[in-house]
Amino acid sequence: MPGYNRAPVSAELTIAASAQGRESPQAQIDALRAAAGASGLAHESGPTSTLLAGGRAEVLEATCQAIEAALDAGARSVDVRVEATEDADRFGTLS
Amino acid sequence: MTTPATPTRARPAAPVQRPNAVGVTTTRIDGIPKVKGEFEFSSDMRMDGMLWGATLRSPHPRADIWAIDIAPALAIPGVHAVLTHEDVPGRKVYGMEIPDQPVLAWDHVRYQGEAIAIVAADHPETARRAVAAIQVDFEVLEPLADAEAAMAPDAPRLHLSGNVLRHVRINHGDPEATADVVVTGEYEVGMQDQAFLGPESGLAVPDGEGGVDLYIATQWLHVDRDQLAESLDLPPEKVRLELGGVGGAFGGREDLSMQIHACMLALHTNRPVKIVYNREESFFGHVHRHPCRMRYEHGAGRDGRLVYVRARVVLDGGAYASSSTAVCSNAACFAAGPYEVPNARLDAYVTYTNNPPCGAMRGFGSVQVAIGHEAQMDKLAAALGIDPVELRIMNAMRPGSRMPTGQVVREPAPVVELLERLRAMPLPPAATGDGHDPRELPGGVSNTTRGESVRRGVGYGLGFKNVGFSEGFDDYSTARVRLSLDGGEPLVEVHTAAAEVGQGVITVQAQIAHTELGVERVAVLAADTRVGSAGSSSASRQTYVTGGAVKAACEAVRERLEALAEERGAPATPAAVLGEGEAIEETVEWHHRETFPLDADGQGDAHMQFAFSAHRAVVDVDTELGLVRVVELATTQEVGRAMNPQALLGQIEGGTAQGLGLALLEEIQVAEGKVLNASFTDYLLPTILDMPPMRIELLEHADPEAPYGLKGVGEPPNISTPPAVAAALRAATGRELPRLPVRPEHLVGLDPGPSRASRGPTAGSGR
Repeated sequence: MPGYNRAPVSAELTIAASAQGRESPQAQIDALRAAAGASGLAHESGPTSTLLAGGRAEVLEATCQAIEAALDAGARSVDVRVEATEDADRFGTLS
Repeated sequence: MTTPATPTRARPAAPVQRPNAVGVTTTRIDGIPKVKGEFEFSSDMRMDGMLWGATLRSPHPRADIWAIDIAPALAIPGVHAVLTHEDVPGRKVYGMEIPDQPVLAWDHVRYQGEAIAIVAADHPETARRAVAAIQVDFEVLEPLADAEAAMAPDAPRLHLSGNVLRHVRINHGDPEATADVVVTGEYEVGMQDQAFLGPESGLAVPDGEGGVDLYIATQWLHVDRDQLAESLDLPPEKVRLELGGVGGAFGGREDLSMQIHACMLALHTNRPVKIVYNREESFFGHVHRHPCRMRYEHGAGRDGRLVYVRARVVLDGGAYASSSTAVCSNAACFAAGPYEVPNARLDAYVTYTNNPPCGAMRGFGSVQVAIGHEAQMDKLAAALGIDPVELRIMNAMRPGSRMPTGQVVREPAPVVELLERLRAMPLPPAATGDGHDPRELPGGVSNTTRGESVRRGVGYGLGFKNVGFSEGFDDYSTARVRLSLDGGEPLVEVHTAAAEVGQGVITVQAQIAHTELGVERVAVLAADTRVGSAGSSSASRQTYVTGGAVKAACEAVRERLEALAEERGAPATPAAVLGEGEAIEETVEWHHRETFPLDADGQGDAHMQFAFSAHRAVVDVDTELGLVRVVELATTQEVGRAMNPQALLGQIEGGTAQGLGLALLEEIQVAEGKVLNASFTDYLLPTILDMPPMRIELLEHADPEAPYGLKGVGEPPNISTPPAVAAALRAATGRELPRLPVRPEHLVGLDPGPSRASRGPTAGSGR
């Protein structure tokens, strides 16, 4: 992650919404976004992508909750890309 | 110099300067070419075979996008590319702190002017016609255009995690303290534009190997590069930036504007692509100063000593985050002003709305709250029957004072001296008799008064702000210095990425090299990303931080020269030690002292250095026409060390003019999210005719931790001017004037009062 004073960790979640899901494809995306948004860390980052940015533990926790919400809505696949800034705590232990 | 050649655009050799030492005025090397029209601004750049880029922007402040049809644009002869969000190779959002802003919008637009599609064509007019041919199916929604309304629980969410972007609360002492004398006030500040004269512009050139060079007017090359690499999905080394000629910045170039767009088009077409915004587009192409509403309560003892300050500050961040979180922090940290305040509760909020995005602008956060805390000090002085300057002196911060954040102000903080020296400056004479020179009346020769309803007022304002980046950010700069013999004469080459935005950082780098190495000839190379980051040309930090880096690199070169001299048994001079073609080169990354985040109560040593300034304004107000003439602006400023005195005076005069603009003229008028005055016809800037004579006195109390003892100087004049002008207007009219800019309709309709010939300075003048 580049930039000035960026959050230590970010996770970009891209959903491949399934037409066979319990909910419509857009509802699957909306479910993921609603769960991500509740964390206070989320922004849209594309038509099917959501970006979570913050401290390591909170981002990882919110990521799990957002994925669960998407899966519950019938999504079949969620791509996750996690990045840390240079000075972020490393991925040794969860704080 | 051991740097790779730039592959795509030949650059002229860096001109050799013969600077004076630090502390002695040195004529800026870019000054004469700029005055003569010979300087190449970024909008002047051209390359053979280049295409022209243009941007389709949303006409709506809030809408859903159902479809984008680019086919009609692609069908126009001469059009080489039409790109949308689907063509962004990497991350589709960007942002310095919070990547929340789409490179190109997909499902929604959140402000009028948001970029939706980009075009490259063989002629700028063709590009504009292609933009007009793109068809977008919008569903227009009601904009959320009020920052307070955006915080309501039932407000529509403009971003997934809600509309409150940041809330900073500072609890200090007993936040619920009570006092004998209490004054309250509500104040409002409009949206100011940086109004740089050189619009956003840049030239992107593909290198033929998948990378790109971008020649760009910006404030921070490396943060631009990193955001570009992310959205272009390229490694940073494949994205090279070089500073183009910058026609002003003031914070408005800290965010990306057309950088990603130009590079996308260049890489897509494999042709150089130039983008230049026109004036109207420029208003939509960069962030502005946050509009702000403030509610203040000051409590004091009957002796005038402050007991507490409570403040609630609400900043309108607009559609995207930009640097709003830092602005919010500054608004909270400096809300009480440069005073000793034993108890405080200071709340600052910044929210998303569908208004234009706001971000960095000279004095960010401090400018807004200075208008509030200084109005309150005048109001408190009136309630107590104490002279306003005396009240300020009584409560002034001193070295060792503790801010509401708990941070001790360690370095010289001569607030009392600033005020006393300012007060001691002579006032301009009051006009007498009926033989008024009409040019000296409000409105000038076009006015219709003969001076019979003109009232004079005098007001004071203090400014207080941090220098450099705060709250734990690792703020540094990198300098590479090379000492060699060139034609038998010593030459120092200095290479940094510091953006020269008109403040004179090229010249001060040369002065430092000359001072440290004693060499007459100095060349400052073009700023680019072939050397490490210099950080941003903002927050009054560049002379401090890059100056510190150049000084440290010169010291390292000097040490090596001395070691070499000892080894060779020669005097430690370049001519004695170095042979032709031999060089000493050192690169240093220089960090200023550590700062720390604020905790949940807003406590912490968040800031590196503090700047102080004071202004006194003398105004004449035509109470029939609402016209104002600023008769004189006087100022005192603590500068630590005047590195280049002439350039410093230029900073102070420029910052004062920008402050006068905020007080009286400059506001982006926004109604329901739509900008009503995106032109320099309707957005009023002060001209030379509006600027009065200035009295300027500099205080040079060295900061022991700073290079040469210097302080950042660019922002303070912009902070203390608006409250001083507002105070003078209040003194002249007796009106509250809670909103800046003050407009003619706020000033008309007063009782005629005494004639101009019979009055002198009025109550509240501090005299």
